[in-house]
Amino acid sequence: MAAQTQIDTGGILRPQGQLEAAPLDPYRGALDERRAAHLLRRTGFGASQADIAKYTGMAAGRAVESLVRFPSTASLPAPENVYSPLAVLQQYGPRGFKDLPLAERRAIQKGIREQELASTVSLQLWWLNRMLATPAPLQERMAFYFHGHFTSTAVQKGVSPALIFAQNQLFRANALGNLRELTRAVSKDPAMLVYLDNASNVAEHPNENFARELMELFTLGVGHYTENDVRESARAWTGWEFDRYTQTAVFNPRRHDDGVKTFLGQTGNFTGDDIVNIIFAQPQCARFFAASLLGTFVYNDPEPRLVDEVAALLRNNDFELAPVVSAILRSNVFYSERAYRALVKSPVEFVVGTYKTLGLPQFDTTILAQLRQMGQVLFYPPNVAGWPGGANWLTSDMMIARQNFLETSVNSQNLAASSWLGSLPMKPKTATQTIVASILQGDASPASLAKLDALISGSGTSALAAFGPENYGQRVSGAAYLAMAAPAFQLN
Amino acid sequence: MKRSNFVLGTVSGFALVANTSHIFARALAQSPVQGLPGGNDRVLVLLNLQGGNDGLNTVVPHGNQRYYQLRPGLAIEPNAVLRIDDQIGFNPALKSFKAMYDKGEVALVQGVGYPNPDLSHFRSTEIWQTAAPDRYLHSGWLGRYIDEAKLPANNLFNGVAISQLVPEALSSPGVDVPAIASLGSYGLSINKNDGTRNAYSQMLRDRTVPFSSPYLARVMEIEDHAQRGSQELPKLIAGYQTKASYPASALGRSLSLAAQIVGSNLGTRVIYVEHGSFDTHVGQRATHDRLLEEFSNAISAFYDDLAAHGNDKRVLTVTFSEFGRRAAENGSKGTDHGEASPLFMIGGGVKGGVYGDNPVIGQEAFGNVKYTIDFRSVYATVLERWLNRPSQSILAGNFSTIPVLG
Repeated sequence: MAAQTQIDTGGILRPQGQLEAAPLDPYRGALDERRAAHLLRRTGFGASQADIAKYTGMAAGRAVESLVRFPSTASLPAPENVYSPLAVLQQYGPRGFKDLPLAERRAIQKGIREQELASTVSLQLWWLNRMLATPAPLQERMAFYFHGHFTSTAVQKGVSPALIFAQNQLFRANALGNLRELTRAVSKDPAMLVYLDNASNVAEHPNENFARELMELFTLGVGHYTENDVRESARAWTGWEFDRYTQTAVFNPRRHDDGVKTFLGQTGNFTGDDIVNIIFAQPQCARFFAASLLGTFVYNDPEPRLVDEVAALLRNNDFELAPVVSAILRSNVFYSERAYRALVKSPVEFVVGTYKTLGLPQFDTTILAQLRQMGQVLFYPPNVAGWPGGANWLTSDMMIARQNFLETSVNSQNLAASSWLGSLPMKPKTATQTIVASILQGDASPASLAKLDALISGSGTSALAAFGPENYGQRVSGAAYLAMAAPAFQLN
Repeated sequence: MKRSNFVLGTVSGFALVANTSHIFARALAQSPVQGLPGGNDRVLVLLNLQGGNDGLNTVVPHGNQRYYQLRPGLAIEPNAVLRIDDQIGFNPALKSFKAMYDKGEVALVQGVGYPNPDLSHFRSTEIWQTAAPDRYLHSGWLGRYIDEAKLPANNLFNGVAISQLVPEALSSPGVDVPAIASLGSYGLSINKNDGTRNAYSQMLRDRTVPFSSPYLARVMEIEDHAQRGSQELPKLIAGYQTKASYPASALGRSLSLAAQIVGSNLGTRVIYVEHGSFDTHVGQRATHDRLLEEFSNAISAFYDDLAAHGNDKRVLTVTFSEFGRRAAENGSKGTDHGEASPLFMIGGGVKGGVYGDNPVIGQEAFGNVKYTIDFRSVYATVLERWLNRPSQSILAGNFSTIPVLG
């Protein structure tokens, strides 16, 4: 049966109103506090009060320049003990392992699996803490984007933590590099070869899984190729294998179909690299990535005119991302009211943003169960199409998980660890204003401000003691919770 | 009775042939369902036997020699089987369930699966939940039902998932189903703090924020659901008296809560429950028999409870599992991932009996069971005959119904 795949676009909403005349022209003004925070939320999972202050008043061009030029991240810790089954596999070798008694084989496999799961957990925590601590947040934001775009899933199908980490490093190294080069590299990445079965795609029995997703989900979108293109591309990709006993990708010319293929209207003795080149020569490929980048950084379901303008930028820059992402982040449309809070924070953006906002230093493992309840587990996208985003993040059980995470984040013990929330002046009005400015950039109504003020000053429903050291933790954590539980804080 | 087959329909060029030797007379007599309450009172309970239930040790083909050849250490002895006929019977752990079957309260649908089976738990579960073997969807078949049926938007409990997370089956953009693992764990932690809670509910109703966003209204709506739902549910179901003795298992607790939700008339149409893990690669017999016994005792207590409140005829329970298991046992006294398996449709006035062909064990060494009924035919039956909804748009295709409900 021909698999006519498609993904849904349900729950993805475009802001109301008209696209301006010159959306990609550079924004001329200096960044005010709201726009500075907007830029930092979109490019780096939110920001501390100090970061927002640093970017406020800066020209957009200079602000973006400082984000796209990644400073050294050498001081950040590497993940510890990323597990690879290599040592165990090499100890026995292919034949020795098969000769073991079944019970022993199963015990070894069970041991490998347990270590893989434990290692994946520490890798998840490592990445979250790196997002929080990195001096190059846009690099992590792009790695996170690519993780949801060129998806692979850990542990399943034998994708070890070491392989998923190598893929993660590939995304990081190419964060603002060349899209065509990254597509070529990720096609031969061991985790991808295994996850989408390209490793079992051989001349005698082509497997079309990767060839299909390469076009449908990674580069062109459904409707821009034929089933015959899928078959011919699969033939071109034959020969790539995953050697379990070295845990590497290898090209085996004997399993490669070196016959003539006809792909997207061209005929030749194509290899996988040729397939990528032909795809990137299609005008649709630039449009596909343009829509994807706009949906990540500006707003969902961007207008075709805007997509075409960014697609032209991609083609003119030979798919180099740095100049294109810079242009998007400097543009009028990026700083327009229509783009402002026009996206829904993903759970990862939400939790990292909360910690950055509060100035909390580090996640512990409890965050992983909380993220799971919110619907997002790093290295486990729901399927090869990645996380759908938009209104798909908005269900009451995910919301309960978000709010309960906020409650644990502002509890009094964490307040002491917060760089600013633990040391507000004992003046209710000043404390309220600082909380609303730092957390919501003032995006609260006068009525909400009055509620927070009443909560902090103790002038609410019944007469309570005045704001002071003995009730500081309870009042401030309550107010910070309410500010972050406000609808504005769910939006990016 | 003479064995007779009739063609249920054609799905993607694959003819569905149902063995009707058990139910043919009654199936022919189908007419509008008699004696059932109005469609608006009907509830579907979807029970996920997660992990891949071994269909062959659930409904045992005791008349099939190849089953015994391939399972020297795992087969259910012929004289232990709770016989349905000279070919098949239930695992002896399903004693109380067999009693329900004998009363005509259970329809057994044989050989359910889908084309080109995927043996990954993850992907196959997703296929069953989204009802899309060839596409990657983020919405589930019952999520799309809740959406298309336009169940009252102000009802927070149109669907309820009794699980840690909302399963994909009940998801759809614009549809909000609460996940209630237990009453104690459901809700906002600030609900315990009255001052903050009151300020919170007022803040989230404050619509005069100084910005606009395409998602703002939805965020506010969901925040409201999150708060109200967890505050209201315990009050709404507090008056219900449980009138059965449930086993002290997780499934017993889940189904007890399900009966309470049904009996409290919250307008709930779909309830999701799960049980497992049925992923019995090693030492299967003890684990599998225990899981089946838990299922059997919990489901029979559930229907006792429902019946004591006059609700049994308005609750249809449908089981599913992402795949069956291979006929050949592996070297660890377990079984590996297979293909088709039987499922059960219980209560709701089903016409009890066996539907579909008994499993044919494949000739390959591991003996896979191929599907003979597309799972979407079961879904079409539930949607059209139970929930009174056209199934074509929800299932993205025309699938014939099975005459289980008339």
